[in-house]
Amino acid sequence: MVNDLGRKLAKLAFEERGADMLLVMREEHGNVVPAMVPKGEDLGDVRLDIPYQLITILENIYPWVSKGRIAIITRRCDEKALAELVKRKYVDDKRIVRIGLACSEDQIRRCRCEDPVPSKVDLGEPHAAAKGDELISRLEKMSQQERLEFWAGQFKKCNKCFGCTLNCPVCFCDDDCVLEDRTFVAEPSVPPGLSFHMIRSYHMIDKCIECGECERSCPAEIPLLTMRKLLAKDMKELFKFRPGDEKTVSPLNTTLEGEQLEDGCDEC
Amino acid sequence: MAEFSPTILAFCCNWCSYAGADLAGVSRLQMPPNIHIIRVMCSASVKPEYVLKAISGGVDGVLVLGCHIGDCHYMTGNHRTAKRMPLVQKVLKEVGIDEKRLRLDWVSASEGEKFQKVVTDFVDEVKQLGPNPMRGVKW
Amino acid sequence: MARVGVFVCHCGLNIASTVDIEKVVAYARGLPDVVVAEHNLYSCSEEGLSSIRKSIEKNKLDRVVVAACTPRTHEPLFRKTCELAGVNKYLFEFVNIREHCAWIHIKEPLSATDKAEKLIAMGVAKARLLEPQKETESSVIPTAVVIGGGLTGLTAAASLAAQGIDTHLIEREEKLGGVLGDVEVISPEFSKSGDLIGQLVKELKGSRHAKVHLGAKVVAVSGFIGNFEVTVEGKGKQEKIPAGAIILATGAQEFMPKGEYGFKEMPEVVTQLELERRLASGNVPRRAVFIQCVGSRQPGREYCSRICCNASLKNALRIVRTRPDSRVSIIHRDIMSYGTASERLYREASDRGVVFLRYGLERIPKVVRKKDGVVVEVYDETIDEMVDLDTDLVVLATPMVSREDARDLGKLLKVPLDKYGFFLEAHVKLRPVEFATDGVFIAGSARWPSSVTECMGQGLAAAAKASIPIRRGKVVVEAITASADPDRCAACGNCVIACPYEAIEIVEEHGKRYAKVNETKCKGCGTCVAACPNDAMQQRGFTSQQLSSMIDALIKSTEEET
Ligand SMILES: Cc1cc2nc3c(=O)[nH]c(=O)nc-3n(C[C@H](O)[C@H](O)[C@H](O)COP(=O)(O)OP(=O)(O)OC[C@H]3O[C@@H](n4cnc5c(N)ncnc54)[C@H](O)[C@@H]3O)c2cc1C
Ligand code: SF4
Ligand code: SF4
Ligand code: FES
Repeated sequence: MVNDLGRKLAKLAFEERGADMLLVMREEHGNVVPAMVPKGEDLGDVRLDIPYQLITILENIYPWVSKGRIAIITRRCDEKALAELVKRKYVDDKRIVRIGLACSEDQIRRCRCEDPVPSKVDLGEPHAAAKGDELISRLEKMSQQERLEFWAGQFKKCNKCFGCTLNCPVCFCDDDCVLEDRTFVAEPSVPPGLSFHMIRSYHMIDKCIECGECERSCPAEIPLLTMRKLLAKDMKELFKFRPGDEKTVSPLNTTLEGEQLEDGCDEC
Repeated sequence: MAEFSPTILAFCCNWCSYAGADLAGVSRLQMPPNIHIIRVMCSASVKPEYVLKAISGGVDGVLVLGCHIGDCHYMTGNHRTAKRMPLVQKVLKEVGIDEKRLRLDWVSASEGEKFQKVVTDFVDEVKQLGPNPMRGVKW
Repeated sequence: MARVGVFVCHCGLNIASTVDIEKVVAYARGLPDVVVAEHNLYSCSEEGLSSIRKSIEKNKLDRVVVAACTPRTHEPLFRKTCELAGVNKYLFEFVNIREHCAWIHIKEPLSATDKAEKLIAMGVAKARLLEPQKETESSVIPTAVVIGGGLTGLTAAASLAAQGIDTHLIEREEKLGGVLGDVEVISPEFSKSGDLIGQLVKELKGSRHAKVHLGAKVVAVSGFIGNFEVTVEGKGKQEKIPAGAIILATGAQEFMPKGEYGFKEMPEVVTQLELERRLASGNVPRRAVFIQCVGSRQPGREYCSRICCNASLKNALRIVRTRPDSRVSIIHRDIMSYGTASERLYREASDRGVVFLRYGLERIPKVVRKKDGVVVEVYDETIDEMVDLDTDLVVLATPMVSREDARDLGKLLKVPLDKYGFFLEAHVKLRPVEFATDGVFIAGSARWPSSVTECMGQGLAAAAKASIPIRRGKVVVEAITASADPDRCAACGNCVIACPYEAIEIVEEHGKRYAKVNETKCKGCGTCVAACPNDAMQQRGFTSQQLSSMIDALIKSTEEET
C-alpha cells in the first residue's frame, strides 16, 4: 500500500519531472531497505527518516541500468555526492532527476551539519545549520599527545569491517580497496593500525562531502565524521577547496597555476 | 641514556635532489647519518601512502625532496607534490602526530650544500621532537 | 623465490675507510633471499665486473644488488654486466653507500656501517620484488639541431654536416661568430678569428647537409631522444624542425660592471671587449692599465672566468708589440695563464716591461680623475706600498657570465643550470658535454667560460656524441613507464588529470571503464601513481610494493637495532 508521502513523490518524480524510475528507502517486512521502483509500480511504504546514502546504491547499480531517467531523493549532502560522481563521469547528469529533501532539525544536529539545505527544496522544511561539532572543540583544546591518545584509543576499536568504505558515497574503488592489502597497511590485521585510518583520511580529503555515512556505519562508533570535518577545514584553509561541486577540480591533481610557493631558487 | 638517534626516510627525485645528494657526497659535506634515501623518478611519484605508512610504522621523520618549482624534469610534477604533502601533514596533525615529522623541500642538482643543510636541520628538528610516539603505541 | 646476490664495493679506500665492509657483507648474507654476498676492491673495474659476472652464473642469481657509488653514473655499467650474465638488466638494484654514506659520515664509521646495512636491507627488499622489463626501440630522426652560432656551434655544426648528417644551425643574431665577432686576434697563437670563423662558415655554406637559420629563436622543444621537435621562430615565420639530437652552444656574455671603477662615468674606462674593438680598428693606446677580476672571484660570483687573464696578456702584448713607447700594467689577484703557450705570453709580457701588480679584495684599486688624465691608485701587496699609475685607458677584465635568457632556454629543453646560470652537464668526468636528458648536449662557453681551443674541442665532442644515436638509427627507450591494472582501476580519472603529458585516457572495454597509459607519451614520472587512490597505477621499476618493502625493511632493521 502506498502511503501519502509515496503518492506525493510519485507525482513529483514521474509526472512532473519525467523520471522512469525512483530510488527510495522503503519498509519491507519490518526492515527499511533501498528499492528502485519503476514508473507505474506501487511505491510501497516510503521512508524518508532513515538517513541512508542512496548515492552509494546509485553508484553501484548505475552500470546495470542502461536506460531511463532515475529519480533520487537528494538531501544537500546527496547533492554534493552526486556532483562528485558526475564529475568523474560515473553517472550521466542528464539521466538523474533530483528531488530535494531538507533535513530535520534532529538530523542536522546528529550530523553536526553546516550545510543542510539542498539547492531546491521539494520535501521537508529548511532548518538552520548546526552550531558546530562539540568534539572538535574538545580536540582543539587537547595537547598533541592527548589527541594521539584519543584517536589511537578510537582506532583501536576498529575491527576492519570496511563499513566506512563500502557505504561511503564518494569512496570509489569498490572491489579492491588498498586498505585490504598489506602494501601500505602493514600492521597486524585487527585492529588495523593508524596507517589504515590516516590513509583513508587522506583519500577522502578532496572528496568527502560530510554526509556522516561512515560514522553511522561504524559498529565501533568511532567519530569518523569528526575526523572528516577536521580535514575538510584544513583543505579549505590550504587550498580554498570544498568537494561537492561538479565544476571544481581537486587541487591535488592540478598545477600551481601561478600560485607562488617560494620565492624561487635564487641559486638556479 | 644514549642520545636519541632518529630513523629518517628520505625520498629524492632522480634528477635534482638525488643528484644534489650525490654532489654533497662528492664534496665530502658531513652530515648526521640518520637519513636513508629512496630514489624515485620524481617527487610527484611519492605516494602519500608511503609517508603515512612509514610514520605509522615508527619511522621518526620523512623528508621529501624534489627539484625547485619550475625545474621539475617532468615540468609540473612537483606542483602536485607541493599540494599533496601539506595535506599529508594535516592528516598527521589531526591524529596527533607532529606535522613537522614530514618535511618537503627543494634541492637542485647543484645544491650539495643545501642538501647538507636540509638534512642537518631536519635531523635536529626530529631529535627535538623525540622518538615517533607510534613506536610506543602498543596495538 | 628470488636468488639475490649482494656485491659490496670497497671503492679502494673511498668506502672501506669508513664502512666496515666485512661486517656489512656478513649482515647482507643474513637478509631474506640473499644467496651470496661478496665484496670487491673496485666493483667497476674489469676484475670486479668479471667476478660479479662469474658469481651470478655460478650461484644462478636472478637479482643483483651492488652497494657502491651512485646509479646516476654507474648503473649502466652494472646493468650491462647483469645482461652479459644472462640476467635482465632491470633485475639490478643499486645501493649508494659512497656518496650517501661513506663520504658524508667520515668521522662516524660505526654509524656509517649501520646505515650501510640498512640501505642494503632496503635495496635487497626492493630487489626481491623487481621484475624483468622489456625495452622498446624507437627510431631516430637523422637530423641534428645546433642552437647558437658562435665558434662552438659552428664547429659542431660543421663537423656534423661533414659527417653527412643534416644539421640546422639556429642563431638569433643576424651574423655568425658570437663573441669572436668582436675579438680580432686569438691568443695564444695570435691567429685571426676572421680566418677561423670564415673557414667554418664557408664549410657550412658549401655543405648540402647544413642549413643556417639567422635571426631565429627557439620557442618550443618537445619530444625525446631520437624524436625531438624544435620550433624555431624568426622573420615572422615559424618552422618545426624534427630532430634526433640537440646541441646547445649559446655561449656566454661579458659582464658589465655597475658603477665600479668609474665605468660609464669616465670615457677612459672600458671593458675588455671594447678594447678588442678599438684594437681591431687600429686604435692602440699608449698607456693602459688592466684591472683583472672585476666582478669575479668575490661573494656572489665566486668563480674564475679563466679567459680574462689570457685576454689581458694578449692585448697587453698587442699594445707593447706595436708601440715601443707604451706603458702597460696589469693589476691582478692571481694570473691564470694556464697551459704552456699562455705561460709563454706571460713571460714575454714581463720581458717587454709590462708591470704586474697584485691586489687583494680588502684593498681594491681606485680609478681617479686627475687634470691630465686618469690615475689608478693601487696598493701593491708585494712592496707594501701605494702606487699611482697614470694612464690613458683603464681596461676592466670582467668575467663571462651566463646569457640573460639561459634559464628560459633551460626550461624549454628541460635541462638544469648551475647557480651561476651556466648549463650543468650530467657529469664532468663520466659524461662530459652531455646533459642528464638523453639526446641533448652542451658545449662551449654556455657550459663554462672557455677558450677558443676548448670551445672547439667541446664542439667536436658534442658533435661526435650527438652523431651516435643518429648513426645507430635507433634508441632504446627506458622501460620505466606507468601502467594501470584494469581490474583494480576504478576509473576515477585522478591520474588522467594529474599526468603532465596527457598520456592517460579512460577507455571502455567489455563494459568496464579503466585508465590506459599511452606508453610512447608516458615519460615515467609517476605523478599518476601517487594520484591513484586504489594502487591500480604502477610505475615499472618503482612499484608501490617495491618501495613499500623498502620502508618495511627500514622499519624492521631499526626495530632490530633497539
Ligand atoms: C673579450 C674576450 C676576449 C677573448 N679572447 C680570447 C682569446 O684571445 N683566446 C681564446 O682562446 N679565447 C678568448 N675568448 C674566449 C672565447 O672567445 C669565447 O669563449 C668563445 O668564442 C665562445 O664561443 P661560443 O660559441 O661558446 O659562445 P658565443 O661566442 O657566445 O656564441 C654563442 C652564440 O649563440 C647565440 N645565441 C645565444 N642564445 C641564443 C638563443 N637562445 N638562440 C639562438 N642563438 C643564441 C649568440 O648570439 C652567439 O652568436 C675571449 C672572450 C672575450 C669575451
Ligand atoms: S608516469 Fe607520468 S608521464 Fe607516465 S602516465 Fe603517469 S603521469 Fe603520465
Ligand atoms: S587514478 Fe587509479 S583508480 Fe583512478 S582512474 Fe587512474 S588508475 Fe584508475
Ligand atoms: S623530477 Fe625532481 S621533482 Fe619532479
